[in-house]
Amino acid sequence: MKKNTKGIIIGVVAMVVVAILLVAVWLTFGPKASAGTKAYEVTVTDNNGEVTTYEGKTDAEYLKELMDELVEEEDFTYEGSESDYGLFIESINGLKADYDTDGAYWSIYVNGEYGQYGADSQPVADGDKFGFVYEIAQ
Amino acid sequence: MKSHNKHWSAFDIASMGLMLAIVEVCKHALDFLPNIELVSFLFIVFTLHFGWRILILTWAFSLVECLYFGFGPWTITYFYVWPILIIAVMLLKRFGGEHPLFYATLSGCFGLSFGFLCSLYTLVIGGVGMQITWWISGIPYDLVHCIGNFTICLVLFYPVNQALKRLKF
Repeated sequence: MKKNTKGIIIGVVAMVVVAILLVAVWLTFGPKASAGTKAYEVTVTDNNGEVTTYEGKTDAEYLKELMDELVEEEDFTYEGSESDYGLFIESINGLKADYDTDGAYWSIYVNGEYGQYGADSQPVADGDKFGFVYEIAQ
Repeated sequence: MKSHNKHWSAFDIASMGLMLAIVEVCKHALDFLPNIELVSFLFIVFTLHFGWRILILTWAFSLVECLYFGFGPWTITYFYVWPILIIAVMLLKRFGGEHPLFYATLSGCFGLSFGFLCSLYTLVIGGVGMQITWWISGIPYDLVHCIGNFTICLVLFYPVNQALKRLKF
């Protein structure tokens, strides 16, 4: 009986060891959550000139999708409305730009150039740098 | 089953029917918990009392499962996976006697290897690459299966085994 019990204990230990090995196999070779394939950098420049930067990888096709991902995963927030020209950004990270009051608006920069498209039609390419800048019309 | 008569009596057939019903009810009662099941435990304890005849019970069980879930390429797994457990019990029971921890470990190991055993049929469909990928992606489920099988058998083996012993066949 004693011999039997010893054998059973060895069996339990062997099972635990195999289970741990399987965990290692899964962690090493198991499916990884898709981290996205396109690198991006998004900066938000507020009314005081302070810059917040977000970096990562994404599969988003358009900037709006990337913004939605940032809302989910980061402390990024935005509000906007649909206009005839696409998404009109009204506020970012809680800072509202009210053009009617003081001519303030949120502009979009793409790789340092003033953006030609709205957020929902601006394509995202690998390595793109997007900037949301709070600006006042002169 | 204490009698080792090669011929099946009406009682044997009725017992098989009852065991199949018990296995099916327990299987579907726990369907909402992936890989937590009583089937392994029941097959183990039934095999200890009824011997090789439980092989037929596993095929009857597999057939009912196919009727319930439908037939597919995976169907073949049902028919060889459970018999492996029965064969393991029959070959190893002389080492375990009636020790709950022995059968809990056997059941746990079966749960741990379940994904690997089930993945063997993918060898035919997609080769070694597909089989290994399929197996590795299911390892978390195998771990849950292992822990579930081990715990269930450890807790239920003694009372159910005692109850079966009281039935005089």
